[in-house]
Amino acid sequence: MLQFVIRRILWAIPIVLVVSSITFMLMHSVPGGPFDAEKALPQAIIDNLNAKYHLDDPLWKQYVDYMWGFIRFDLGPSISYRSRTVNDILAQQWPVTALLGLASFGVAICLGIPLGVISAIKQNSLIDYGSMWISMLGLSIPNMAMGPLLIWIFALNLKWFPVATWGSPIHVVLPAITLGTAFMAMFARITRASMLQVVREEYIQTARAKGVREIWVMLKHTLRNALIPVMTIAGPAFAGMMTGSMIVERIFAIPGIGKYYVTSVGNRDYPVIMATTLVFALAVVVMNMLVDISYGILDPRIRYN
Amino acid sequence: MFKERQIRREIRKLSRRTPKAHSLWRDAWRRLIRNKAAIAGGLIIFALIIIAAGANWIAPYTYTEGRIQDNYLHPNSEHWMGCDFMGRDIMSRIIYGARISLSAAFVGALTSFFIGVIYGLTSGFFGGKVDNVMMRFVDIMFGFPTLILIILLMVYFKSTFSVIEPGTFRGVMSAIDRSMGGMFFIFIGIGVTSWLGMARLIRGMVLSVREKEYVEAARAVGAPRTRLLFRHIFPNVLGPAIVAQALQIPGFILYEAFLSFIGLGVNPPTPSWGMMLSEGYVGMRSHFHLVLWPAVAISITLFAFNFLGDGVRDAFDPRQTR
Repeated sequence: MLQFVIRRILWAIPIVLVVSSITFMLMHSVPGGPFDAEKALPQAIIDNLNAKYHLDDPLWKQYVDYMWGFIRFDLGPSISYRSRTVNDILAQQWPVTALLGLASFGVAICLGIPLGVISAIKQNSLIDYGSMWISMLGLSIPNMAMGPLLIWIFALNLKWFPVATWGSPIHVVLPAITLGTAFMAMFARITRASMLQVVREEYIQTARAKGVREIWVMLKHTLRNALIPVMTIAGPAFAGMMTGSMIVERIFAIPGIGKYYVTSVGNRDYPVIMATTLVFALAVVVMNMLVDISYGILDPRIRYN
Repeated sequence: MFKERQIRREIRKLSRRTPKAHSLWRDAWRRLIRNKAAIAGGLIIFALIIIAAGANWIAPYTYTEGRIQDNYLHPNSEHWMGCDFMGRDIMSRIIYGARISLSAAFVGALTSFFIGVIYGLTSGFFGGKVDNVMMRFVDIMFGFPTLILIILLMVYFKSTFSVIEPGTFRGVMSAIDRSMGGMFFIFIGIGVTSWLGMARLIRGMVLSVREKEYVEAARAVGAPRTRLLFRHIFPNVLGPAIVAQALQIPGFILYEAFLSFIGLGVNPPTPSWGMMLSEGYVGMRSHFHLVLWPAVAISITLFAFNFLGDGVRDAFDPRQTR
């Protein structure tokens, strides 16, 4: 187990290296720099600014310096927000996105898995068809359409929730539903399919033959074994939520990292782009690792080697 | 004499009784046709293709220009879906927008399919060291969040190739992109980022098919490598590849909409549903029609592709219970 975790952590190193070097190369091969403005600055000032941010060093040195800083959790200064370091920005924006992501993940799991279980138990009933239609809808309405629709219905017309911005728990509801619906639908569909497959196993028949109550057969014997494929998509789902937050944060004017990322790409704010990309990639790696570990908890037969 | 004739007759009788052999494709097609949801999805997609192809005749107005007195016009008998913030007819823009979404769907699918198939076939067929290196590369690229890579690529393309320099490579690329309203780089972005899963799938399939008896037999009679690959291995991995691609198509539509939403996609005035949504949600409080129609259009399209994709999967893999 420990060995497995260590190996997975080591595996993150090449990923970080490749992600960072591709990002670095793409960023710096783009024409235009962070000091481009409507009114061109005198060359001397640009030279000074470049020297201050070490943008006049050779590229490989900039990259090595950056990675050395990254290892020590020193992500450098932001270029377009002169008074703040990237550490400040991440510390301020990341918790917002993380909270939004967690809330949507909660929506997806707490609604998606029960929906799938109910459909599987009542296979081919009206409830089954109904919930599968709902999940098809959830899968098909992208969050850039879902957000405005929810705002229009629940904020502008019914006035149950605030239209946008961030701050109190009630502000989280609409964005979390917007971001979580598609993943809820995915979880529901996969839970259903996987339950229907597990139900045909012999140990389920054994459990029934022993006289275990049907509800326990379903929840304990079937669901637990059916959860493995569900966990498999949890990793990609998490990554999807991180990037989905770029749109949801824009629509709901939430001060999170996703919205910030898109702006900093436009501003060529190199340190912010690098740091955010790396944090996104690391988050995905960690999430995939947690998913792999969860396999062993769900199914003790799975060994880590 | 008599005995032999009898035997022949018996054989003929028997052969008549054994069911006719069906190809995998015919069976899959039969199952697909019986799936009502998939048929509905297919019909909607067919209608969308007709709309996109005939946009010049169907659309009541032009999508590029509007009249200033029509700004934010609400739906009426002249403009059925109203007008947007520049007085352009929304219905016409929705109709032309079908071109953008559908081409992202099909071209994105084709490019990532070809890259993935070639990569996966090569890796699986050669095996050994080649396979190891090629697959480690795929593993590492999987760590890269797709949307972030697409964003970086789009920024790179948009600013590197935005020059007007006839004759040079950059100039030609940017001319192609401009003539396609910004779609060309979206295609490349989707193609470059979306082949990984396909490559992995194909490579796995090739590894298992390669050891099958019929491939062994073909090798034994001296079939050359290319014949083994294209005649015996490739057709047997094609089915799952098509299923995987059909399930990915909604993702390509979403990529295009996402890029256009954050301003890295099509160039204005090319009407993309994603761009219309991003222009519309700001003025939604008093002009809800600005977001309603593009939202409906993109949702119906995704709905249709999801249903068709599900149908194709069920058709090729009948063990999946419905």
